[in-house]
Amino acid sequence: MTQPSTERATGLVLLALIVLVYVFPYAFLVSTSLKPPSDALSIPPTLLPQRISFENYTIIGDFPVVQRSFGNSAIIALLSTAISISLAIPAAYAIARFATWAGKLFLIAALVTRLIPPVSVGIPLFAIMRSLGLIDTHLGVALAHSTVSVPLAIWLLASFMESIPSALEEAARVDGCSRFGALFRIIIPVAAGGIAVTAIFVFLASWNEFLFSLLLSSTGVKTAPIAIAEFKSQYGIQWGTMTSLAVLYSFPVIIFSLLMQKRILAGMTMGAVKG
Amino acid sequence: MPMKLTERSFVLLLLLPATLFLAAFVAYPLFLLVRDSFYEVSIYAPDERVFVGVDNYLHALSSSRVRESALRTLNYTLIALTAEFVLGFAAALLFNAMGRRSEILRTVFAFPLMIPPIVAGLLWRFMLIDNIGIVNHVLEHLGIIADSSDISWLGDRDLVLFSVALPNIWLTTSFVALVLYTGLQNIPSELIEAAKIDGASALQVFRRVTVPLLRPVIAVVLILRGIDAARAFDMIWIQTEGGPRFASEILSIHIYRNMIRYGNIGEASAIATLFMIAMVLVSSIAFFTIWGKGTSQS
Repeated sequence: MTQPSTERATGLVLLALIVLVYVFPYAFLVSTSLKPPSDALSIPPTLLPQRISFENYTIIGDFPVVQRSFGNSAIIALLSTAISISLAIPAAYAIARFATWAGKLFLIAALVTRLIPPVSVGIPLFAIMRSLGLIDTHLGVALAHSTVSVPLAIWLLASFMESIPSALEEAARVDGCSRFGALFRIIIPVAAGGIAVTAIFVFLASWNEFLFSLLLSSTGVKTAPIAIAEFKSQYGIQWGTMTSLAVLYSFPVIIFSLLMQKRILAGMTMGAVKG
Repeated sequence: MPMKLTERSFVLLLLLPATLFLAAFVAYPLFLLVRDSFYEVSIYAPDERVFVGVDNYLHALSSSRVRESALRTLNYTLIALTAEFVLGFAAALLFNAMGRRSEILRTVFAFPLMIPPIVAGLLWRFMLIDNIGIVNHVLEHLGIIADSSDISWLGDRDLVLFSVALPNIWLTTSFVALVLYTGLQNIPSELIEAAKIDGASALQVFRRVTVPLLRPVIAVVLILRGIDAARAFDMIWIQTEGGPRFASEILSIHIYRNMIRYGNIGEASAIATLFMIAMVLVSSIAFFTIWGKGTSQS
């Protein structure tokens, strides 16, 4: 009867290993951010703070550009979410409900945009945004982020909408509801869960985006990842502050993901497995 | 609104806003990209452009720095993809064998999916610092290296491409594992049972039943991850900015630098156009060989 216990032991060893590799690096980051700044690079490195200090966090108050960058990231991510969702809902509905060549073509085009290196779109976008006067504005960066998010949102929403029985709209249409009425009064409320998941994906995609923000923003609307990345070059490497900024920056992402872990994983894997 | 909206015009009307947006901010930029690739144009004076034909392309193709960064992009993609696929597939098989008991493992495993890419890059850079990084410290402690300055992860030109792939692998192996796990769960267990009754060994079941049935999922995972690795920018930028001495400068970093640091829009556009064509070609070939084979068999 040793088998179950050895199996259990193997399971525990694996769990320990995976926790070590997968959770340790981030835990170490959080732990470092809570050390006094001078201990960030102590020799030898210590796992836990000798004494807890919030100095790495309070020091951020001295850097207004860095502080503002978090607000910029939030505004840009919200704008990009609004743009992407409002463009993607009607398109996804058309693709999910009506089998037309236009819809198919659209789906293929949306897939092809995934193949395009962001830098290839980014270079000419710089010129376009400059002629529109949108360089270093929230809207300019949000529009650039939406070039990635609109196709993503269409894909996700189309698969959510396909699962809604079409009998619902047919009934509404028989009762005299217009085509647009059916979309707004039936489909959008029923698909609200899917829309929310898609909105979170799009928000996080913008929150995490780096290259477009780097190209299209300067001091005015600099986003958090750029401010964090540049923190070293401007003031010399201050690892203590960088760790606290990294923790603050990843915090909303982790909270969002934990809240919706099951649905997000389902959304992430859905497209691929259905393929 | 007209009283009678035909289905056809309704569908086109629904597609119109997204189409206009993608035309203005994806298709039009790509048109400008290709156009600019035939001009000599500087970022500082974008209106003074000189038509130079295919000079930018010739220059790009004959530049050893461009060739090296293209090769590096390929190597980086292969390193990241191989590690992610092997580790991810192993984890997926393990989770599948464990059944419901794998839930905690899967939850822990999914953790990096929640971390922004630049934080992953920063984190690994912090752990890999020569002399004082925790990775070398642990290796020294375990007796694998004699001194904590023996391995210069981000400073050694031969090693740096592996080092900058680490955060990528750390961040996305879980994605590969979870997608493949979902694929494995969808394989009807009767098929596996039937093969076992017919006397197939575990390895034979894996090769003859599991892999062929999983083929479409494998194709999608490999292509999606391959595309993302080849287009990587942020994780490498935050670790090395392409250094030391261009040793981790992959194509997207080279193109960015060509444009911003040297202001060379024409040549940057030519390289970006070639990069885009290569991406579309390679992914289409990969798609049709891996997926095409699978569907013709079944």
